[in-house]
This record gives sequence, C-alpha cells and structure tokens, in this order.
Amino acid sequence: MTSHLPIELEQTELWLLAEKAIYWPAQQALLIADIHFGKAAAYRRLGQPVPHGTTQANLQRLDALLARYPCKQLIFLGDFLHAPESQTPATLDQLHDWRATHAELTITLIRGNHDRRAGDPPTSLGMNVVPEPLLLGPFALQHEADPHPSHHVLAGHLHPAFRLNGRGRQNLRLPCFCIGDRLSLLPAFGSFTGTMTVTAEDRWQIYVVGDGEVWPLKRSAPIRPGICP
Amino acid sequence: MSDATELLSEQWFTTRAWQPFPFQQEVWQAIGDGESGLLHATTGSGKTYAVWLGALNRFATKAPSPTATDKPAPLTVLWITPMRALAADTARALQAPLDDLGIGWSIGLRTGDTSGAERARQGRRLPSALVTTPESLTLLLTRADARQAFAGLRMLVVDEWHELLGNKRGVQLQLALARLRQWMPELIVWGLSATLGNQPHALDVLLHPGSGRLVQGKVDKDLRVDTLLPPSIERFPWAGHLGLRMLAQVVEEIDSAATTLVFTNTRSQSEIWYQALLDARPDWAGLIALHHGSLAREVRDWVELGLKQGALKAVLCTSSLDLGVDFLPVERVLQIGSPKGVARLMQRAGRSGHAPGRTSRVTLVPTHSVEVVEAAAAQVAIAERRIEARSAPHRPLDVLVQHLVSMALGGGFRPDELFAEVRQAWSYRELTDEHWQWALAFVRHGGHSLTAYPDYQRVEPDETGLWKVPSRRVALRHRMSIGTIVSDASLTVKFWAKGGSGRSLGSIEEGFIARLRPGDNFLFGGRLLELVRVENMTAYVSRATGKKAAVPRWNGGRMPLSSELADAVVEQLGAAAREQFTTPEMRLVEPLLRVQMGWSALPTETTLLAEVMKSREGWHLFLYPFAGRHVHLGLASLLAWRMGRHQPLTFSIAVNDYGFELLSATEVDWLRWLTPELFSENDLLHDVLASLNAGELARRRFREIARIAGLVFSGYPGAQKSARQLQASSGLFFDVFRQYDPANLLLTQAEEEVLRQELEVERLQQTLTRLQQRTLDIHQVKRTTPLAFPLMVERFRESMSSEKLADRIRRMVAELDKAAGPGGYQPQADASIAVERDTRPKRKPRATKDGTPRPKKARRATR
Repeated sequence: MTSHLPIELEQTELWLLAEKAIYWPAQQALLIADIHFGKAAAYRRLGQPVPHGTTQANLQRLDALLARYPCKQLIFLGDFLHAPESQTPATLDQLHDWRATHAELTITLIRGNHDRRAGDPPTSLGMNVVPEPLLLGPFALQHEADPHPSHHVLAGHLHPAFRLNGRGRQNLRLPCFCIGDRLSLLPAFGSFTGTMTVTAEDRWQIYVVGDGEVWPLKRSAPIRPGICP
Repeated sequence: MSDATELLSEQWFTTRAWQPFPFQQEVWQAIGDGESGLLHATTGSGKTYAVWLGALNRFATKAPSPTATDKPAPLTVLWITPMRALAADTARALQAPLDDLGIGWSIGLRTGDTSGAERARQGRRLPSALVTTPESLTLLLTRADARQAFAGLRMLVVDEWHELLGNKRGVQLQLALARLRQWMPELIVWGLSATLGNQPHALDVLLHPGSGRLVQGKVDKDLRVDTLLPPSIERFPWAGHLGLRMLAQVVEEIDSAATTLVFTNTRSQSEIWYQALLDARPDWAGLIALHHGSLAREVRDWVELGLKQGALKAVLCTSSLDLGVDFLPVERVLQIGSPKGVARLMQRAGRSGHAPGRTSRVTLVPTHSVEVVEAAAAQVAIAERRIEARSAPHRPLDVLVQHLVSMALGGGFRPDELFAEVRQAWSYRELTDEHWQWALAFVRHGGHSLTAYPDYQRVEPDETGLWKVPSRRVALRHRMSIGTIVSDASLTVKFWAKGGSGRSLGSIEEGFIARLRPGDNFLFGGRLLELVRVENMTAYVSRATGKKAAVPRWNGGRMPLSSELADAVVEQLGAAAREQFTTPEMRLVEPLLRVQMGWSALPTETTLLAEVMKSREGWHLFLYPFAGRHVHLGLASLLAWRMGRHQPLTFSIAVNDYGFELLSATEVDWLRWLTPELFSENDLLHDVLASLNAGELARRRFREIARIAGLVFSGYPGAQKSARQLQASSGLFFDVFRQYDPANLLLTQAEEEVLRQELEVERLQQTLTRLQQRTLDIHQVKRTTPLAFPLMVERFRESMSSEKLADRIRRMVAELDKAAGPGGYQPQADASIAVERDTRPKRKPRATKDGTPRPKKARRATR
C-alpha cells in the first residue's frame, strides 16, 4: 500500500516517500526531518501525561524504511531530540537498542533549534553531529528554511501541511512536501508532532501525503524562488 | 437568639426605614435555626440582604464600643460569586450594614484580580467575610494551612447559583463544599438563584447529601416584552450576521430613553453595532460604550461606573452584563438577535426598570426574518412562563483529576478519606471504585497501568501513605491552571509605544490574530486598530484610520435555542400554516412565509419538513426539526453515518437552531433513502458513538478536557519562547491518546461530554421520538428556500465521511487540477443567493450614451 514518487530536482533524482521522508538513490541516503524523539518523555517530566509508544512507533517506521530502501546513510535534518528533558534513560535505551541493529549505518544529525536546547545526543549513539548547512551534491541540507547562496536547500523545521478544498465544501488537511526551485521543505517525520498550514503559493510544487501515497498537486505557474511561507 | 434584644437585621431595616419582605424574614428565621437552603428570587429584590443579615443575626455581635480597634472576627462567612466582576460590588453591599450597625467584621475580596499585597495580608489572616469565586476558593484550599485558616467558617453563600449549577465550575464548587463540610459538618449553606425551571434540583445539588429549605422570593416583576419591527419586510434579510438594517430604529429607541442596555449574542456583534451606532450618531461619542468579556478590566470598570452614575446613554454588551448589581438608571433593554432562551431573556429584561414604579421591559430586535417569528414565540413562552431547567453535570473525570492534584497540594490526602469525601458531592455521588482507582492512577502514573508512563510524576504517596505533589514546578503549574473555564490561547492587545508597550486594551484570540498581517486593521473595544507586531503573546497595535477592518471572532460557545423557545417557534409556524397570522410580528413576515409555503412548506407541530436540492456544489438535504443546534448536529451526524452504511459518502454538515443541511459532492438519492428507518431509535447510542468516531467533534471537546485535566498547559504569562516548545495542541494529544492509549478514560469522557453536552443525546432521543410521530413532508426544490438559505451560507461546517481517505484525496486533487490556477478550488460561499435576487425585479442592461458597451474598469493589481 505504500509507495514513493520519484521527482527530479537539480538534475538529481529524489524519491518522495509516503512515510514523510526523502530517499536519495544516488547517495543511498534517507533524509528525515523533525523526528522529535523524547517529546512525550519531556511532557511527562513536566507532569503532563502522554502515553508511551511514540518513540517505538518512530523507530518502527524508520526500520521499515531502512528495510525497503538500501541505505548507507541516514541524515536527520534537525530536531532529533525534543528538549533537555528528552534525554531520559528510557528514551535513550530505546535509541541505543535501535542503533545496535543498524550498526553499519552512517547517521548524521544537522543541528536544529530543538537540538541546540536539548543538547547533542550521546556519542555512544555513534552519530555525526554537524551544524547547518551540510552540503551534499547540489543540495544544502539544513534544519531551518533559510535560502543558501549556491545550493538548493532541503529543510524541515516548519512541519508543512496543506489544506485541500473540494466540491461540497469538503476539506482535508494533510502533511506535504513543498518543492521550490531554490528551497524545498520536508514534512515532519515524528509521530507526535503538529503541523503548520502552508498556503498555496505558486512558488511551491506541493505534494500531499495521505493514505500511504504521495499526491502531486497540479500547478500552472512556473516555480519562483521564495521563502516559506 | 434567646435574648430579647432586637435582631440586627430588624435594627438595620429600621435605621433605613425599610420594611422586610416576608421571604427575607423567612430566610432570617431559617438561618437562625441553623438551616441551609436555596432562595429563589429575581435580581434586585433583596436576596443579598436576606442571607447576609441572616448571617449577621446568627454570628455577629455589635462591638462594645464603635471605636474599638480589636482584631476583626475570624473568617466566618464565604460568599461565592460566579463573576469576579461582581465581587467588588458585592463586597460594598455587604459592608453597608456593618458600618451602620458598628459590627467588628472585615470584608475581603479574593479573585484573580486581587493584588499581591492583599493576598499576602490574607495569607496572614483572612477577613471575617470573604467574597470569592469557585476557582479562588479551590486555590485557597490548596494552602497547606487551609484547615486552620477555615476553622472559624460557619456559613457559605453561593450567589447566582443558577449560573454555576449546570457547568463544571459548579462541580468544582461542589467538591470544595464537600471538603468544607468534611471539616465543618454544621456549615450552613445558602444558594441564591434567579429564574430557573427546576429549583428543587438546584437545592439538591447544592446541599447534597443533606437537605434544606426552598424559599420563594418576591414574585417576578411584571415583564414587558415587545418587538422592534422593521417598517416593511421586503428588503429584510433571510439571514444576516449583522442585522444592521434595524440600525435607524435602534438609534431612535436609544434616543428616547435615558439609559439603554443593548444586549448582543456575541462579542463580535457588539463591536459591529457599537461602530455602527457611532457612525450613525457621531455626537454620541463618549455617551455610548462597549462592554464584553475580552475587554481590559479598567475599561469594563469605567463602563460599569458610568452606568451606575447614569452618565451613559447606552452600553453595547454581551452576557458580561447578564449578572450583577443593578444599574438603577437603566430604563430600557434591547436584545439584538435571537434571545435563545426564556430564562435568559427574563434575566436580561430584569436588568431594566429598577427605579420605583417602573416595570422591566425588553425589546427584541430581530436581525433576520425567522427571528421575527422567534420574537412572537418568545412573548408567548414568557407569558406562559415556560422556563428552562438546568442540570448539574454527571461525574466529570477531568474536574476530579484536577481536584485530586489540588488536594494533594493542600496538605496532601489519603485516598480512602478523599473518596468518601468526593462522593458527598452530588455529581460524584455514584462514583465507582473503578473510576476512583483510575483517577488515582492517572494523577500518579498518568495512565491505567503502572508501567505506562515512565518519567511521569504529578502526585506521589509518601511513606505514611499521604499523597502529595513532590515537584515544586508541577505544583506551580497546577496552581496556575486551576479552573474549568477554557478559552483559546489569547494574546494581550496593547498599544505600541517606542521603547516599550503602552496601555493594555484587553485580550484577543490567537487564531484571529494569526490571520492578520502587520498593517491590517481590525475593530477592537470600539476602536479601529492597526496591527503593528506580535511578540511574546502580545499583539501591539496603533490607532488606525480608514474604513476597512476585520472584526474579531471569539470562539465562545454558541448557545443553542432552548427546547422551550424552539417549540414555541414551531407553534407559530404551525399556526401560520393554518393561515393564522394574528400578531403584528406574524403579519409582518406573512409574505415571506407564503414564499416558503409556495416553494416548499412550513414546518408544523405534526410534520417534519425536508427539502432536497441539487446545486453546482452538490446534493443537498435540508431538514427542519427545530430542536436547537446541538441536537441538530447530533441528528445530522447520525443520519450521515446511517446513510454511509448504504453507500460510501462524505458529507459537509451545517447546522443552525432551526435545522441542518447535509451536503455531498457525489449523488445521493434522498427521496429513496429518507425513510423512518433513518430516524429509528434502535441502536441510537451505538450509532451516535460510531458517527462521533468518524467526525471531529470528540476531538474538539477534548480540548476543554485536556486543559482541565492538566494535559495542556496554557503557559506562564510572559513566558519565554522556549516554554512554547513544551506546549502542544490538544488535538495532537487527542491523536496520541487515541493511538497509544485508546482505553484512556479522558477519551471516554470526551465522548460522553460530546454526547451529553454537544449533542444533548437525551434531547436527541426525545427529538427522535417526537419526529417519528410526525409525518415526513419531503419536497424537491429548485432553489434555496427561505428556511434553507441561512444553512446554505453557513461557513462553519462539520464533516463526516464513510469514504476511503484515498478516494477523497483523489477527488479533491482532481478538482484542484480542474480549477485553474494554484489557488485551489474556492467553494462559492454565495453560490445561490437566489432568494434575495428573486425578490427583486430584474435589472435592465445598462445603456451607455453611445449605445456601445462600457470599457472594463481598470482594476488595481491585487498582487
């Protein structure tokens, strides 16, 4: 039931995945934005009950992707850990166990605003932690959606979603990829994250994600550079 | 009371040369005998002194010498008021006899507005009588030394009990009362209540598990209800949010009276009318004012003072002025739009005519045609005193969870003792051990099972078995969130000043501001403002000039039309269907009702009107049960869900107080499917629950529950940005709970509350029973009928789907492709305004001087 949609960006083939991630076949890289590990734990620390299971769900979804697409590297576009309170033994234990099952994988984290507060993940997780931008091929991989002078930016941070309107006054709000000609956005991967509605501006090619599929929205205007939203 | 000296109450009435009413003497007698009870009387009839002087009779003595500066008596009487705005006035009223009689009692205030210095003073010693709100009372109970501080308490009075009875604030008070009675079994409790259809229930809930005396106060004053009718109905809208067509007549009415209160149903409406009145009468600047719950305290104080002094010609207000002390100068009351309920209209009428020899008078100002019918119906309902009942909520677990944490703060609790205590509260009288254990587990571990929520700690038992809050941070957060009033995240509105901020104007919902950009104008507090910038939860504004302005919307609960009033409306329509147009109101709307009869039919007491129509938007069904918007929502969801079993469909649902619309983008053969089976009561609960799961309602209701149970924290005032990283929307919580902890009782409660409050499932069941006795009167119509039109243009909609998500996405994406441009498909809000157009003659094509068509006007670029 799950599918992906190949697109060409900067003469490079990227696959938009229905699981709200990007697979880059040439690099055998999986790009994940805004996973927000330990967000539920941070809430619980503050005395707000949140059920257990969001971390596990995130890891299972990662596992499924890694099993389906041959990956040499996994790149997190920021907001790996949610808050300082997220560095709890329970969360970190789960992450260590998970890491052990993917020992050969190169994992890179580009620091985002949440990571700067939460602190880097423990070195025992074997992750390369770098500041933004990380230049790779024609792309500048970043957390925040700031334009880059020479490279096409792939970023997260905004958790974009798009509202579809239909006949009979129906509407649906779905997470989306926003693809521009100098800057593109990934939806948030984490299962305990909210979204922000982006408006339909002609500078974005929007791909909504829903029901295990990626749906391109048709557009008539040419892509113009822009800053979201 | 054995000594022969005259009672304090009688002495005081003598000094004022007043004659006590029999009901006042009855209350004095009852309090003298140590009885509790409920006093039912209209505002301004002397309720306050009935109870207060009764308390003084029993507990106070005259100071031996008036100059003695002994410490005042310890806390003896608690006076609970539902609105903090009333607290200061109440305190003043209570003070008067103390001064006159030289009683050594002090009066204090404790509300959210109380200053830090005053709080500190009260921290050392509470006044002899404390005027406070349910929330502040609970906060006082969280003090570690609460029991000691309340040791001298003998009597508790709940003012305006009818305002609290039916909601969670009332439940919070019930719990606080249970605690106080635990400490002082002899506590005397009196409730004061205005117009209410079920006084014995109000008495029961307040005094549970005990009983007391129900005292009937002064009989309702004569009420005059009339309607401001437009001179002709032709140009009068079927539906309208503004209803400003009546402006000229409203101006005239205001002009003719010394002081008028103009009630509206929403804050937005009051803003719009205020602006319109000023435009019509610029000379009234400074003489008319605006009063609603989102305005800053100082602004409201100024307005209230102006009213009392008779300095204001008119005040545009919302329910913010429903209650409270009397403004003697108020001569007239106008109600713009639907009165919604009989009790509410009587309450509002009662705000006028307090000067001797005057009667209370309320004038209804309909804003659209059906409201003219409503006005006729309201007069009948009031004349026959068909007053609505209110019932206390049943076992709200969110309030219980909050109470547990509060009690853990207040010196800690032992579960067995607290369980017994909580069950003394009427709403929890049938609380099961299972639910109790769940609530305990929830505050301790956050969930049902012991391992479900690691890292979580809110309340923990210590080694002696006393449950306490171990973390100071959690304690602080909890104290800030006590209460059951939930509003959207709001921003403070302040004037922008160089190098800092200026005066505060009030508060506004975040959702509204989010839609504005700096430079946009909006109306607020009767001013035209320009948004300068938004930061740190503050919207900075400057004065603006110009005309175009957005009007803020506040998502306060929209009150449904009460059954009593709705039934009266159907009776009017039924009479019209039988060609009886007796009142001026009905004669006025006769031509329009005849249009409805010609195109379709009128709903009556014995028929259920349905209209089926196809438009470019899709397939519509309009149904008119006249049961209030809540019931209509439940009924619409139920029908949509039951239809969905025949074929996968997605409906968009619009409701109002008269009926509802089901709109589908794909074809539905309503003539075939709309049968009595769709209205069957069989499996009602199951089907309604199933329809809930398919819709968004439970999710929205969860917002309130999440706030009260402490799931969502609305933030410290002026908190830094990083604090916002720890806020999440209740919708997100709802999804996470539903996915990972579906058995969570708060979800169950969300469902129960939707059933009970949003959909009023009991009323829904009664409605179904009644609908089954009516004959279905189904009409296929070609254009929107007068009754359907307001539903057709309603923007706020629910949706309900039995289709696969992928199918819905596929259809919408395809429609988006068809619609030119990336702006997306724009649903046409004005798709069929055929009704208004049809009443006007067709305009001839305009002839230009030389006979050729005029060139198109150059339009300014919009981008």
